[in-house]
Amino acid sequence: MPILQFREALRAAMTEEMERDENVFLMGEEVAQYNGAYKVSEGMLEKFGPRRVFDTPISEAGFSGLGVGAACCGLRPIIEFMSWSFTLVCLDQIVNNAANVRYMSGGQFKVPVVFRGGNGIAHQLGATHSHRMESVFARVPGLVVVAPSTPYDAKGLLKTSIRCDDPVIFLESEKMLAEKGEVPAEEYTLPIGVANVERTGADVTVVSYGRPLQRVVRPAVEHLHADHGIDVELIDLRTLRPLDVETIAKSVAKTNRCVIVDEDWGYCGMGSGILYKIQKRCFDDLDAPIEYVHSDEIPVPFSHNLEEAMLPSVDRIVSSVKEACYR
Amino acid sequence: MSADITMPQLSDTMTEGTLVKWLKKEGDRINSGDMIAEIETDKAVMEMEVFDSGVVAALMIAEGDKAGVGSVLAVIATGSENPVDVKKKVSAAKSQPAGASPVSREEVAATRKPAATATSIAPNFARASTGEIREPDNVGHGATRQQAVAVPPLHHEGNGGDRLRVSPLARRIAEQRNIDLQSLTGSGPGGRIVRQDVLNIQPASRSASPPLPTAPAPVGNGQTQVIPLTKMRSAIAKSLQASKQNIPHFYETIDVDVEDVVKLRVKLNEILEPEKIRVSIGDFVSKAVASALLRHPALNATFNGSEVTRFGDVNLGIAVAVPDGLIVPVLRNIHLMGLKEIRQRSADLVDRARAQRLKQDEMTGGTFTVSNLGTYGIREFSAIINPPQVAILAVAAAEKRAVVRGEQIVARTMLSLTLSADHRIVDGATAADFLKTLKILLEQPGLMLV
Repeated sequence: MPILQFREALRAAMTEEMERDENVFLMGEEVAQYNGAYKVSEGMLEKFGPRRVFDTPISEAGFSGLGVGAACCGLRPIIEFMSWSFTLVCLDQIVNNAANVRYMSGGQFKVPVVFRGGNGIAHQLGATHSHRMESVFARVPGLVVVAPSTPYDAKGLLKTSIRCDDPVIFLESEKMLAEKGEVPAEEYTLPIGVANVERTGADVTVVSYGRPLQRVVRPAVEHLHADHGIDVELIDLRTLRPLDVETIAKSVAKTNRCVIVDEDWGYCGMGSGILYKIQKRCFDDLDAPIEYVHSDEIPVPFSHNLEEAMLPSVDRIVSSVKEACYR
Repeated sequence: MSADITMPQLSDTMTEGTLVKWLKKEGDRINSGDMIAEIETDKAVMEMEVFDSGVVAALMIAEGDKAGVGSVLAVIATGSENPVDVKKKVSAAKSQPAGASPVSREEVAATRKPAATATSIAPNFARASTGEIREPDNVGHGATRQQAVAVPPLHHEGNGGDRLRVSPLARRIAEQRNIDLQSLTGSGPGGRIVRQDVLNIQPASRSASPPLPTAPAPVGNGQTQVIPLTKMRSAIAKSLQASKQNIPHFYETIDVDVEDVVKLRVKLNEILEPEKIRVSIGDFVSKAVASALLRHPALNATFNGSEVTRFGDVNLGIAVAVPDGLIVPVLRNIHLMGLKEIRQRSADLVDRARAQRLKQDEMTGGTFTVSNLGTYGIREFSAIINPPQVAILAVAAAEKRAVVRGEQIVARTMLSLTLSADHRIVDGATAADFLKTLKILLEQPGLMLV
């Protein structure tokens, strides 16, 4: 099977969908002539021309609104944000308009737009460019929120997102774009709203998504297995809204313990919402309180060391998993 | 800093205790309020709580060992010091014969107090945050993070704080298997009963419509099973053998018509319904026994071989079956109590006896004992005297029987009471007088008010 970078998988998904449907187009800051700030759209201008791949001014509020309008009129825009941190200025377009138009028009308009870009703490981007926006959007009815952690999932889910008739928040990470993984040459799509049990285990269910999976969760799981004899069942959520509670509940019914890991702040963080759904559904299956490993509740420091220190680490995950296991 | 954990004095008479089980290992994190060990005094096994947080650096005695009150059982590294170093230090100190003696209890107490009082507002804060989403304690937390020093939890008298901590899963399994959670000791944080604790024990039968009493695990065909005696079992063996060998028991049985008691009980329980209290026939018997004993002090007595002591108060021992054993908690001054108080207090004693949470002085000082097998449907039985007492009453099941009234055979609710008495001190007629009084009081319960 071909090995692709995460960014190549994203590019392949967009390219295939643009070839498949002429209503699909890509816009964003520097996606065209510069080949993308992170080279995700490299070569796409040349391939599809300036009518379907074009640069926008530095105005997220403007071009996100443009995308919502275009989607209402029948096109299927892909809008790239250089960072999800910048979308704080376009919450009106995304939360008010994109999420609600279909509902408020009684179904007369649909909004098949994909907003995608790097989310979360990349590396030394400072407090204002390191926001983890998933909990902001995952709580909004009318939006779909997707957060893949592998090139394979990224391609399959982006293709489905582009075909989705509702607005999709597609969360990537600048730090994951160079990650490599197997991606089939033949076409495939992956369903939205289905989590992936990527490792089966008997002792405890660990739930995570996106970048922390690759950065700390998978190493922690291996460490727990090798050094502590704890057999983790690892679930990659892949979609944050709608949340696949079924898959988690099935796992917790087996392991009776659950640890959630994300890089959000804890209070009202993404994991808090997930935690509520799990405890509500799985209360009688739980032998220990659900643990939640998250970032420290401070502005994200610029300093490399401090930034590292605020993030969930392998040690923190190991210690929380042991606590959940009464070890 | 390190803190010594010492053998607590769990009753006024306790001078030493046995460390039954460590609930933490060396290297474990421990938080104030966590249980560190199970300590056994004569009959009760109690959990021992710590008031310091840190890492368990050294466990100084082995499971099963005895230690005097105040001697050091474990050392906790409470600060940033390396627990391994602390262990080395205390081990070295321990191996030195004299000189470097462990910290005394007073010193430990003295070092604890200021920390506790200085942060007297901390508990609310600490409690609020533990109820919410937790992060590991070793996570630094920027400027707003403070070490919450918890104050030693209060000793709870009521139900509120003393309630059983059970994980939802453990609760569900216990329910499915008919296991009484009160009888379990939790191994989780703060004594929480978790799945493993429930799976570790055999289910017990429950009085409410049990199809069959649950039998212990069967011994396989052609196999044998050797069971070493628990401390409780060998104490029971010794004392019952001594009683039956040394005391010339004699037995008298009387049948009591408890029809009026049954009616009165229904009426009273309707009145007590809002308070969720249901008095039992056994409670009426206890009440009647107390009244009758005041009139027959010869039976409300102890005998030490040379002299008899009679008592003006009735401290009634109530035999309680516990897993593999028997405990007799004492209901003090029962002669001063009404039925409601008798019910509440005996229920509390029975619950705590089953959970092995009785205090030492709640198991001593009885002047007379009742043993009740009514709920098992036993028609009549005799009990062994609990020395130094001189008599014990065996209470069987109240049941409808065909009895002769005048020339008619009628169905009446009857109850058989059997008194075992010490013939060295008590004569047949004395015992019969007592039983007659008891019969009159139970057949005309209004007389207990007179």
